[in-house]
Amino acid sequence: MSGRVHTKTIPPHERISGFAPYVSNLDDRLAVYEASRCLMCYDAPCISACPAGINIPEFIYRIKTGNFYGAAKVIRESNIFGGECGYVCPVERLCESKCVRRNLNEEPVAISMLQRFAYEKEKLKGLVKFPKSRSKNKKVAVVGAGPAGLSAAYELARMGYSVTVFDANPRPGGLLLYGILPWKAPWSVPESEIDLIKEYGINFVTNKKITDLKPLLKEYDAVFVGVGATKSQKLGIPGEDLNGVYPAQEFLHSVAKWLMGEGKAPDLKGKRVAVIGGGDTAVDAACASVRLGAERVYIVYRRSLAEMPAVPYGRNQAREEGVEFLLLTAPVRIIGDKSVKAIECVKMELTEPDSSGRRGVRPIKGSEFRLDVDSVIVAIGQKPDEDLLKSFGVKTEKGLIVVDENFSTSVKGIFAGGDAVNGGETVVEAVAEGKKAAAAIDKFLSGGKSSKK
Amino acid sequence: MVSKPDISVKFCNLELENPYLLSSAPPTCTGEMIMRAFEAGWAGAVTKTIKPDKTPVYDLKNRFGVMGFETKQMILFENIEEVSKRPVGTWEKEIKEIKKKFPEKALIGSIMAECKEEDWEELARIVSEAGVDMLELNFGCPHGMPERGMGAFIGQRTELIQKLTKAAKRGSSVPVMVKLTPNVTDIAYTAKAAEEAGADAISAINTVLGLIGINIDTFEPIPTVDGMSTFGGLSGPGVKPIGLRCVAQIAQATNIPVSGIGGITTWKDAVEYLLVGAGCVQVCTAVMWRGYRIISDFVDGLTNYLADKGLSSVNEIIGKTLPRLTAWSKLNKDYTVVASINKDLCIKCGLCYVACRDGGYQAIKFEQGKAAEVDEEKCDACSLCTHLCPVPGCITWKKVTK
Repeated sequence: MSGRVHTKTIPPHERISGFAPYVSNLDDRLAVYEASRCLMCYDAPCISACPAGINIPEFIYRIKTGNFYGAAKVIRESNIFGGECGYVCPVERLCESKCVRRNLNEEPVAISMLQRFAYEKEKLKGLVKFPKSRSKNKKVAVVGAGPAGLSAAYELARMGYSVTVFDANPRPGGLLLYGILPWKAPWSVPESEIDLIKEYGINFVTNKKITDLKPLLKEYDAVFVGVGATKSQKLGIPGEDLNGVYPAQEFLHSVAKWLMGEGKAPDLKGKRVAVIGGGDTAVDAACASVRLGAERVYIVYRRSLAEMPAVPYGRNQAREEGVEFLLLTAPVRIIGDKSVKAIECVKMELTEPDSSGRRGVRPIKGSEFRLDVDSVIVAIGQKPDEDLLKSFGVKTEKGLIVVDENFSTSVKGIFAGGDAVNGGETVVEAVAEGKKAAAAIDKFLSGGKSSKK
Repeated sequence: MVSKPDISVKFCNLELENPYLLSSAPPTCTGEMIMRAFEAGWAGAVTKTIKPDKTPVYDLKNRFGVMGFETKQMILFENIEEVSKRPVGTWEKEIKEIKKKFPEKALIGSIMAECKEEDWEELARIVSEAGVDMLELNFGCPHGMPERGMGAFIGQRTELIQKLTKAAKRGSSVPVMVKLTPNVTDIAYTAKAAEEAGADAISAINTVLGLIGINIDTFEPIPTVDGMSTFGGLSGPGVKPIGLRCVAQIAQATNIPVSGIGGITTWKDAVEYLLVGAGCVQVCTAVMWRGYRIISDFVDGLTNYLADKGLSSVNEIIGKTLPRLTAWSKLNKDYTVVASINKDLCIKCGLCYVACRDGGYQAIKFEQGKAAEVDEEKCDACSLCTHLCPVPGCITWKKVTK
């Protein structure tokens, strides 16, 4: 019996002066130590909890024996973005939440830290490259070079398909580059994995926004759509159009671009910022605001801490970095002339749990108050670009692409996966869906029989 | 209020305040070190082995190696160190000093010489006359010395054990204890030989001959001396089962006291040795790792243990387990049990399932998220599952009447 390893972190007051990663990776000794905490459960629940189905006990066992490269092989076999996921997966609600160590009243094995360790070791030798099948003389177009699209492209290319990936951004990566800021995962991580994908001879067409799939269907044998959920949900309250109100997705996107040397980030220096929402994106936006020099940053969330969807890790980070939590508080309207001056909020109270067990909220009459702020970031959810989906001509429901169990859309030959289908899940979920969709596309193109890799 | 249990023991002529001695090894290299150990609370010490001045001895650079396991840095320790390099005269002087300052502590002089009776007799005379309370004949060192007809070379030949024990007895003015090597087919046999030759006590075990490891990057064996190595003596927690077995065998086969040695790291290990018949114990590797100071827990742990057991003296546990050690053929073949898994304690890791499937009798049923279950018809009570279950007390025995 032994406790979970705790890694060194840069103290909050120092790390907020930049966007760099602040958590140290495990060294060999600590990694082997942490790996030895894995019980190597049979039919391990952590595997079932991993959307990519990584054989976690196997890769951890390999770290324990000192076979670090072998550990990386296990990860990459299941997840082409295994390195990135090691950095960004919300493991507290995935694999680590099911770690059997918890049943022993102990902290779960630090699976993500071990996954990062395996990736860092892998990088020293060169990322694991699995062989590619013989060319199939069939072409597949992938629309969107985010985790879902790249995962599908990689799997299809490995099977021998000729794959072309289209993306509106100058570089492939999607959310991995334009939505996740470097303190969570250095961009070199997804970049290295994208470089690996490129080695499979995939044709990339960047700076090209696809709005019509018909021409693609003529030129290609199948199309995969993985355009993500790039837009933010709207609050639907007065004042949302004022200057200084930023949708969270677009906000993070512009910060990322600015860090890459393109355009400008919102000027929050010395400003008071209210982030509306309680998810991981709200936390990211709040911590980004702190790093942009905001004087005070609030997270305004309508429910209590118990209902907050953001993982505890992120919440702690935000709290450490000085973000103030206004719980059971909902915005009523944003006040200002041209620019934001304040938000009017109302205090909320919890109601009895609904059928799903989640407690609802209702406003407390007369509890309205004014919160003076200069900026508002709206992080209450994300959604795909509605106009874009409409132009694709595939069936949608509640703003999401409808697919069957084979990731096939209403249009024959067009498949879809990732956030545009699931509404905004995790990177690992998108990767897993891209992989499954690739298998379905392969089946479709080989007349019902799936070809072996 | 229960009175404090008595942990003093009598071992041959020695009146020991507690059953703990330092064995003949680096922690007893000099008089100064032995005296510091006595101050810390050790009841006695066996000097590092003294040899005649004419016998050359070298200390290789370096001479230790370790074997760890998972997160444990050391479960086995290896050395290829030789006996004391210091002149006999120096030891005579220091023995006198130690005994003058610590008359109530037990000082045992360890000696070794080449296979010449006159050398053993002479050295026994000098060292015993210097004032030690007992001699220990080093017939056990398995590395270096045997190549020159000493150490385990002697302990592996009963005729030499007897000849040289007798020689030492002739020279010695104090009782003589023979330290045996476990690197023999039957240690009871060599122990009986020593007893027949007049040994007053036996100490066992000396280190176990081994090869602690190979550096798989450089292909060099460990410990590496300029790229080369030799086989060495293993000690540390991993040799305890060998030591326990040897001590029990010696205790069963002879009628003289046994001083138990081998992997004693905590008071619990010492209790086990006492239970199989050791009259006192000797410690080295644990002290090399953590210093003389561990004696305070050795003493306190044993005292509290005896109090918890309602015993008034440590003597009540010496040899207590011996009657329970018998031949395999005498064990009860009608005793039948099956494993039983406590559903509430089960953490659903499935380890017992895999173990029983691949290393047992396919007698455990398991489904993710559910407690494992024993198929009592198939369970052969091998006990594998009970040992690898991570939850103490989760898998127990259920008696079956047939």
